[in-house]
Amino acid sequence: MDNPDTRSNYSQRLYKKIGYFLIIIVTEVIIFYMFINFLSLKGIDYKLFLFVLPIIAFFVLQRYQKIINFVKESHSQCNSFSIIFMILLLIFIPFLFKDNPYLLHICIMCGLYLITALGLNIQLGSTGMVNFAFAAFFGVGAYTSALLAVNFHFSFWLGILAAIIISALFGLLIGSLTLKSTGFYYALVTMAFQIIFHLLVNNLRFTGGSGGISNIPFPTIGKYSFSSSLNIFGINLPYQANYYYLVLAIALFSLYLAKRLYNSRTGLVWNAIREDEIAAKCQGISVNKGKLEASAIGAIFGGMAGAIYAHYISFISPESFTFHFSVVLICIVILGGLDNILGVAIGAVLLTVIPEKIRFFAEARMLFYGIIIIAVLIFKPQGLVPERIRKYNFLNFKKDSI
Amino acid sequence: MSAYRKRLDLWKGDGKLHQMEILKIEKVGINFGGLVALKGINFFVKEGEIVGLIGPNGSGKTTFFNLITGIYQPTSGNMFFNGEKITGLSPCEINERGIARTFQNTRLFWSLSTLDNVLLGMHRWESYSWFVSMFGRNYTEKKLRENIEESITLLNYFSKELVDKMYQKVKDLSQADKKRVEICRALASRPKLLLLDEPSAGMNPEETTELMDDIRKIKIKKPDLNIILIEHDMRVIKGSTQRVIVFNHGIKIFDGTFEKASNNKEVIEAYLGGEI
Repeated sequence: MDNPDTRSNYSQRLYKKIGYFLIIIVTEVIIFYMFINFLSLKGIDYKLFLFVLPIIAFFVLQRYQKIINFVKESHSQCNSFSIIFMILLLIFIPFLFKDNPYLLHICIMCGLYLITALGLNIQLGSTGMVNFAFAAFFGVGAYTSALLAVNFHFSFWLGILAAIIISALFGLLIGSLTLKSTGFYYALVTMAFQIIFHLLVNNLRFTGGSGGISNIPFPTIGKYSFSSSLNIFGINLPYQANYYYLVLAIALFSLYLAKRLYNSRTGLVWNAIREDEIAAKCQGISVNKGKLEASAIGAIFGGMAGAIYAHYISFISPESFTFHFSVVLICIVILGGLDNILGVAIGAVLLTVIPEKIRFFAEARMLFYGIIIIAVLIFKPQGLVPERIRKYNFLNFKKDSI
Repeated sequence: MSAYRKRLDLWKGDGKLHQMEILKIEKVGINFGGLVALKGINFFVKEGEIVGLIGPNGSGKTTFFNLITGIYQPTSGNMFFNGEKITGLSPCEINERGIARTFQNTRLFWSLSTLDNVLLGMHRWESYSWFVSMFGRNYTEKKLRENIEESITLLNYFSKELVDKMYQKVKDLSQADKKRVEICRALASRPKLLLLDEPSAGMNPEETTELMDDIRKIKIKKPDLNIILIEHDMRVIKGSTQRVIVFNHGIKIFDGTFEKASNNKEVIEAYLGGEI
């Protein structure tokens, strides 16, 4: 231990580690700052410049691969630190927006879209099922918990459980009915399901018809209602902060689960089904089982987000679960990057915030939305963060030993 | 376990069964509408044999493979593998019994890495469930490590370069490497019977020679492996098979050694066209 060589090695490693930490802190603070700026943008003003500048800087840095590689390396080497630091920054958001509940509302919607898109990514990205009925999964969750809460006075927590179960069953139903159809045909069948769902909730009496369901109660923990303002260390936060922390917790948990699924055998089997069904069958992979799993698990994510949405907005109507919403979700996954969880997260945040920020274009809003998507897909056809190859280097197995 | 099961199967069998025959095909035929693709095929593979399957284009060789692996269901006849009836089973059940195959037009999992492709080949030895993947202990490291080491050994049978390319997408590999990875994937399921559908397609003569050596090497490493080989390159058939089956217009016209086949009148007619 007293060998000077190992000691200098040790101090070298320490310096490197400190360097990694500093890099992580700097990059994440920059990203966070950009995000905050972008959120609080009002029309075109000087803050847009603050948003564009780091992006230009990023493209300039692309020329210096060494720097980019070092940043990547530091994030992959100190993975847990970079995640914890990001969570700390995210926890800080309600304090920044305590006078501006609207921005907090956008953040909550980001979280909900993220959870839903993670579910869709399991089907569209991992298994290759182009599901145009995902808004229906979201809607099933929302209607389940809303109806139970309004008619039978279920609490939010029981309602979310029921939403998970019912949406999983709904996913299994749609999955089993579409087992035989693949590719374009699957897309077409799910489109039909989406339209059927919309028509049904619009016309059935117990779902409240086109008027929807209103006065969905707020969630409570014991006597504490989510509609009261949150007080932390003497700072009063708007009532949205309750939901923000709830959604943050569930979104982080969903991300964790999605990551685990991706790294597990299940994720690998899903990928095999996406790539070639006949080859998968001939390797002993049960394609039907894999597809049913993907539809049910994807639906669970969607249903969960739907239930939270219903209780947060406290009003739902068929107009929230239209075909348009399905298309937006598919855009999120394709734009962010198929089968890449980080990509889906980025896509969800961007496609939630951008429509809010281009409201000043009024009628031309959707036009700009479309232009942005086309631009991204021209310059980054694989999505913002392309699919990666699984690396098992955490094992450090010896390649030459055999 | 398997020895016990084999004995059990022998007892259950119809009496005609011989232990030596690992695959037995009885009067198998298939029609697609009015088209008779295969008719009355009788066929067997003895334990430890490499059988070559040849015939002109469209003679039903690949259809025959599709029948054995369950992609098509035969319209008549029965198939037995290891004494067990496999007619009517799904492809994935047939793979679980120990038959693996490659495809004529190379069907890999294109956007996955070489290593992932081979790992997926081991599927029949994996027990996994979505619940364990989500909440349980993750795809345990020990098992994964074993699997990866086995994959690397398999890739090493073919060439060292293939091991270096294990983190490359298979669609970026050369045609010869793609074929090799596909054979590795099939071998990864530790099959008793391996069906190779034109493994040398798209290879140059040197690579074909290498492939022949590789097949021989695999055969030495796994002596109880049976192989059926479809091939148009007669050098490969001559160099690596013990017995040749010839198909023509969906009918088996010859069964015997390569030397006899090359002198058989009917076989020559099928390949070169007969006198009118």
